[in-house]
Amino acid sequence: MSFTLTAAGAVQLLGGVCAAPLLPGMVQTIKARLQGRPGPRITQPYLELRRLWKKSRSNPSPHTVVYESVPILIAALLLLAVLIVPVGGLSPGWPVGHDALVLVGSLALSRCALGLAAWDTGGGFGLMGAARDLAISVSAEALLMLTLVLLAMTAGSTSLVALSAAATKAHVWDEPAHWAAAVGLLLVVLVETGRQPIDNPDTHLELTMVHEGPLLEYSGRDLAYLQWATAARHWVALVLATELLLPQPAAFWGRMLELVVALPLCCAALALVETTQAKMRLLRVPLLLGAGGAICLLGIVSYLADAHG
Amino acid sequence: MVGVGALALSVLLPLAGKGWHRALSLQTFGLLCLGASGAAVAFGARSFGASFHSNYAPAIGVDRLSGFFLALLALVAAPAVVHARAGLARAPHARALTSLTACFCLALAGLLVARDVTSFLAFWELMTLLPAVMILVGDHGPAARGHVFTYLAVTHLGGVAVWTALLVLAHHGALGGAPLHSELLRSLVAALAIIGFGTKAGLMPLHSWLPRAHPLAPPHVSALMSGVMVKVALYGLIRVLFQWDAPAPLWVGIALLMLGAFSALGGITFAVFQRELKRLLAYCTVENVGVVVLALGASLLMSATGHPLWAAIAFAAAMLQTLAHALAKGLMFLGAGSLASVAGKLELDSLGGLLRRMPWTGAAVIIGALSLAGLPPMGGFASEWLTLQSLVHTVLQTAGREPGAALVSALAATLLAAAAAVAALTFVAVIGVVLLGTPRRTELANVNETPATMRGPLMVLAALCLLVGILPGLLVPTLARLRPATAGTSVLHAGASLNLPGTGSLPTLGLAATLAALVALLWFARNGRAAQRRPAATPAWTCGQAVEPTLAWSVAGFTETLRLMAQGLLPRLLELQVQEPLAALALRGAGVMRRLQSGSLTTYLGYLLGLLALLLALVRLGLLS
Repeated sequence: MSFTLTAAGAVQLLGGVCAAPLLPGMVQTIKARLQGRPGPRITQPYLELRRLWKKSRSNPSPHTVVYESVPILIAALLLLAVLIVPVGGLSPGWPVGHDALVLVGSLALSRCALGLAAWDTGGGFGLMGAARDLAISVSAEALLMLTLVLLAMTAGSTSLVALSAAATKAHVWDEPAHWAAAVGLLLVVLVETGRQPIDNPDTHLELTMVHEGPLLEYSGRDLAYLQWATAARHWVALVLATELLLPQPAAFWGRMLELVVALPLCCAALALVETTQAKMRLLRVPLLLGAGGAICLLGIVSYLADAHG
Repeated sequence: MVGVGALALSVLLPLAGKGWHRALSLQTFGLLCLGASGAAVAFGARSFGASFHSNYAPAIGVDRLSGFFLALLALVAAPAVVHARAGLARAPHARALTSLTACFCLALAGLLVARDVTSFLAFWELMTLLPAVMILVGDHGPAARGHVFTYLAVTHLGGVAVWTALLVLAHHGALGGAPLHSELLRSLVAALAIIGFGTKAGLMPLHSWLPRAHPLAPPHVSALMSGVMVKVALYGLIRVLFQWDAPAPLWVGIALLMLGAFSALGGITFAVFQRELKRLLAYCTVENVGVVVLALGASLLMSATGHPLWAAIAFAAAMLQTLAHALAKGLMFLGAGSLASVAGKLELDSLGGLLRRMPWTGAAVIIGALSLAGLPPMGGFASEWLTLQSLVHTVLQTAGREPGAALVSALAATLLAAAAAVAALTFVAVIGVVLLGTPRRTELANVNETPATMRGPLMVLAALCLLVGILPGLLVPTLARLRPATAGTSVLHAGASLNLPGTGSLPTLGLAATLAALVALLWFARNGRAAQRRPAATPAWTCGQAVEPTLAWSVAGFTETLRLMAQGLLPRLLELQVQEPLAALALRGAGVMRRLQSGSLTTYLGYLLGLLALLLALVRLGLLS
């Protein structure tokens, strides 16, 4: 038991810290193949991180300590999130707990930190992106809360370990509530990873970008931290989706095997969505998320009708 | 007793012509004594003095709940009074305001220790009237007079409900005696209490006076009104719903959830579009009162469906939110006062870049704003986490027996999450536009940090905000025991972190320590010895053009996306969009019908023939007989 716990902790750290840049790399490669281009290698993000690590940072004038500390705070918060999200349904006892709402809180703080950095430089593009990100997060957080309520209904807890344990039981798939939660969570994954149709991670066109906007001023190690944080956000979102939504074997190593197979499949799914979907008009995003919320609400009603009758 | 004596003395000192500075010091001392004794009662087990009775003879006494609110009063009022020393220096009516502040604190304390309906209602009226006097002493222009009139009119209309509810309770001997017998009367009292105390607390449909009155007052009075006075109104609500009228009917819990959710989301939605800092803070108070009421509603629902553990936790959530908001809002209003003392007006779009000029005030305001935004590791996050957990567990616990209540609490949790996200946007905008970037007025470029007597209270409150966020586990078991009419047994174990059943636990100390360690590690990796060249100084990227201060972003620009999204979403939600699809369907049907009407005689003859053949065939098949 203690060995598997240690292994789970190692997978959490190695996967979340070291393997995370593979995920956006995979999405980019698969997307390029789907579009008939050779595309970059899947290790391209590592090369970029190495290049950035060697470059010098840039500080716009005027700026305060807020601008300089934000990349560090965001990277630290994403590390925290990596430690919170259990792998294989096991949490090796990091002193950070494993509560879903704590995860939501730390991601929210990282979003706000980026907004503060944008205010600090005063650049219009950063502020535009941050304002959009925070405005989208209003409907995204509401949807995430509904999804968590739904998942907690079947698991009886908001602990990510308990939620993930509930997914190992075959009968959760008989619950319409679980299907509704799956729809909600997948939409939240799209928002958190900043993928189309919510955001286009490839664009640097000022008028369309969301997450890339506040990153414009940064370079060097600051930008390396922020790009790693984007990759870690992919890891957190995709691991959560596989842990909470896919049917899981009970044994830890079986779940590890499933994770290794499922994560590339998730990346392929993201790439497929990006290839077939255009970026949505910004003001329509709340409608998409609201539709997900309506489905989740139906799931809650069906669960309650079931529990009552 | 010493505290009350000192406060009473400080009322008289300025009137006797002695220095109001000395009176303010005396007030601080008195408040600290009062708060210390309150905290001792809240943390200890014993209550002092009389207990509630339904006679009309005045009596005073302190129990745990009163003790907690007394401590809350002192925590906000003592820094506010210290801040007022420098804040009132240039005010024209310092002496009168000093004396009135002491009266106001005494009225609040008196309401909290009143043990009979006569003195309760007397202090209630004083608590309503004194802020109006203080506002008018400071500013008696026509606009202020109008707002104060609205304040008095609305709160007195609400006061009618409070008087009625309390007198009905006292008449039937329900204060400290047997509860009301009639179910109808109990519901009536609960409804009156929600309307009356809800008006004074600024609950959303009844809030209209709050954003008008709070910004007008001097900063330390605003801090007291927003931080303490609305909480004291909630204290009255708790007394009625949890003690005198208990057990409250099930609908009361559901109504509180609805009102709380409406207030939370509505309050912050109004706040985000404000252009003036103090008005924004006042609307944010409406939100936070909503969050407290949400937790109270969850607590009522849990105890009505027989889950004492979570009923206690939800009550603790309400108290923690009360505490966290009082500290943060006190800090923000005092901070607004500090900013106004150097920057003049508080129009958001006329400030900017103040963090560099006022690092201490700026840092404290950032901490307060993050706490109000409910972000970790501040007190606001711990209380909002606890409130959300209470709502989620209300769904889980009531799902089998009361599906309606479960559905309402699921919706309330969702709306609270949305409100938290809007609050995050609001306070990112506030910090950004006030403290960061470049000054939007030239005279802001050389302002100076405020004197130590103004900075000190802010630093103390900021430290308390952080402390509540990092060590909520030490408070929550005590807060859970504050609920009146419980046996007072401890249901939770004290510890640094919040380990609650059915959650992944909130190890606040571990989270904060881990975050600090990771930040240190990453800072060292970036700036350590092996770091490369110094960062290059560059202008911010504006497509290669020069940065124009007049083109600096405003709060309106930052919140524009949210406004457009809300405008796009709300009408669609409200109209449900049935008429447009229906109209399209009808037009398409009409198009098909028009093709039938070709106008040629032979076609119509063909139709007739076809109909005849169809009828004959139907008769033949025996379907028409």
